[in-house]
Amino acid sequence: MMEKRVKRSDEPIWWALFSAGGVCFAVFVPAAILFIALLIPLGLLPAETLDFERSRGLLFSFPGLIFIGVVICLPLFHAMHRIRHGLHDLKLGRDKTNKVIAYGAAIVFSLLALLGFVLGIM
Amino acid sequence: MAKHVGYFPELKRNWWLKNRYFTLYMVREATVLPLVFFIACLLAGLYSLLQGQQSFQGWLQFMQNPITIVINLLALVASLFHAATFFTLFPRVMPLRVGGKAIPAKWIILGQWFGVLLVMVLFAWVFGRGV
Repeated sequence: MMEKRVKRSDEPIWWALFSAGGVCFAVFVPAAILFIALLIPLGLLPAETLDFERSRGLLFSFPGLIFIGVVICLPLFHAMHRIRHGLHDLKLGRDKTNKVIAYGAAIVFSLLALLGFVLGIM
Repeated sequence: MAKHVGYFPELKRNWWLKNRYFTLYMVREATVLPLVFFIACLLAGLYSLLQGQQSFQGWLQFMQNPITIVINLLALVASLFHAATFFTLFPRVMPLRVGGKAIPAKWIILGQWFGVLLVMVLFAWVFGRGV
């Protein structure tokens, strides 16, 4: 029997993460920005809305884990994919290097978010 | 694959400025830049919550900085622009049919915006609980 190793492309993985992140960027991120980065810092909601204990309780819980997935990790892969291809469009750098740096950063910061979550629930 | 020989038109770095459609494409690509800033804010917030009350207050102060607010406002506009282009794309990529009849693209787009609104209501409910 002749065995032949087919060299598979890893691109489908990055495109899938890009798509999933795109859905999250469109559906979940606007609300997250509106509440966490605008309404609360501007003082348009009561100060107790995001006090220390309450924030800890909200983030370090199961819904908080989902929040980290759909507002941090997946949009991060979406963003780094677009940055990689944007750099190619602007003819900046070598794609091979850009690819490693872009997805590498997405993986490292996603893991950092998950590590923070684990530390928080301990 | 055949090797290219002969004439190769060189693509200039500013090719996307020469056509409105291409410029809009690059603007959409750039929507992720303020998004990365917002995600960095969230990661900083997460770690400030691990460090303690004082660190968290420092993070809140950073979030209240006018420059931070402006970039995050830009991130909100960018996310809505991304959503608008993304939602119009969906019915073209995946036309939905119910009982053999195609659902008009307009409804699918409206349905997705309804989803965005629903998430905002969910956030309002979560943050508003017990305050």
